[in-house]
Amino acid sequence: MPKMTFIKTDGSRLEVDAPLGLSVLEIAHRNNIDLEGACEGSLACSTCHVIVDPEWYELLPNASDDEEDMLDLAFGLTQTSRLGCQLIITEELDGLTVSLPAATRNMMSDK
Amino acid sequence: MDGTATRTDGGNQPKLPIYLDYQATTPTDPRVVAAMLPYFTEKFGNPHSTSHSHGREAAEAVEHARLQVARLIGADEREITFTSGATESNNLAIKGVMRFTGQKHRRVVTCVTEHKCVLESVKRLGEEGIETVLLPVRANGLVDLDLLAKALEEPTGLVSIMAANNEIGVVQHLAEIGALCRSHGALFHTDAAQAAGKVPIDVEAMHIDLLSISGHKLYGPKGIGALYVRRRPRVRLEPLFDGGAQERGLRSGTLAPPLCVGLGEACAISAAEMGTEAERLRKLRDRLFKGLTAAVPDLALNGDAERRLPGNLNVVVPKVDGLTLLAEVPELSLSLGSACTSAAVEPSYVLRALGMPDELANGSFRICVGRFTSDAEIDFAVEHLVDAIRRLRGKGAQA
Repeated sequence: MPKMTFIKTDGSRLEVDAPLGLSVLEIAHRNNIDLEGACEGSLACSTCHVIVDPEWYELLPNASDDEEDMLDLAFGLTQTSRLGCQLIITEELDGLTVSLPAATRNMMSDK
Repeated sequence: MDGTATRTDGGNQPKLPIYLDYQATTPTDPRVVAAMLPYFTEKFGNPHSTSHSHGREAAEAVEHARLQVARLIGADEREITFTSGATESNNLAIKGVMRFTGQKHRRVVTCVTEHKCVLESVKRLGEEGIETVLLPVRANGLVDLDLLAKALEEPTGLVSIMAANNEIGVVQHLAEIGALCRSHGALFHTDAAQAAGKVPIDVEAMHIDLLSISGHKLYGPKGIGALYVRRRPRVRLEPLFDGGAQERGLRSGTLAPPLCVGLGEACAISAAEMGTEAERLRKLRDRLFKGLTAAVPDLALNGDAERRLPGNLNVVVPKVDGLTLLAEVPELSLSLGSACTSAAVEPSYVLRALGMPDELANGSFRICVGRFTSDAEIDFAVEHLVDAIRRLRGKGAQA
């Protein structure tokens, strides 16, 4: 089974199983990783924003306009930012590494 | 005919003083003012108040204006951000691109004849540790494309080259510059404050990624401008302002609907009338230049004669001091160079960049005709300028 690695905000790394066809958001939730995904993958928020390791970024299919529109609103956006719900694991992505950003923007949970 | 108060029929004495400084600013077109007025009074809503019809009415007007701006440059309305003017647009584009987290290539290329707000923004980035490259220009004011290509051999984040110069009116090879930037993976920003609405611009054909517009340079109101930011592939910026994330987070702050409507209307009028207006201005400008050179044969044009804004003249009168000449013709509103630096009595850095010695740069001045300039005004200007030059040279010869 493919694997992928999450780098948490404290810098610690966690390698987990990455079943083919699952999204990075779904994999995060299966492993109790703190990635929100408030809209559950319907491209209505940017709370599952992840920063893709530059080496892996080029291998990803391009973001759709809808994903880019949501990324416009993401906090701490970078050149290799993507939404976790749109990254689907394939054989090619075995070893994918993403970092969790320092903060998210969720109007419901922010105080 | 547009029937404005400043126009007079040929042969009559024109109304004085005569405005020949259309690159410093333009009068707001009366059609633009008419479109703006309701948004000061009965349609005063906050466009960001979407819970009631007052707000929605203002929001609709703003979005219509956004579309009008987009159409002038072949963009999508979602690619237009309203700002306070070209200075803000240029700051937002240049600093925003280079400060964006993760920007790969920390290198920015511009040229020496840019407007101060571009040069100062680039200088600021230099202080922040970003490599900056200032390209020279050729004697005609145009960027040397071979030099640009050479500069782009080093990985570059952003190239900022103005569309048309504010002093000498030369129009850069935008399509060629855009193609070079695209093929080298650099983003291309152009300050089109002087060019938008005057010469055709197409952000797709010219591979432009960011473009700055100023309202008051194209017969719109002062205090508003716009920045075009490409969506495909997406260009991202770090905003200058923190706040309510208006304008898709790029420019926080409540929009001014009357000003947005004015900019939109000004863009729509320019888009519709650009061709006929350019032809008319070119004729007026050429009549002016012919009149001056017929009487003062050594008067010469600064900057390229062909690739030039239709309404711009920038000329040198050898052995005459420009400032003294301007003082001799109080009936004419002219300036030496850009209004932004006209308080400083030093030779124009733009003319110096063309390789002109100081005494010639000091003998240069700018004449810009525009939408409301008449033949009678041109003839009056020629007569009075020629008289003044002869007077000054007569004095000089006697001394």
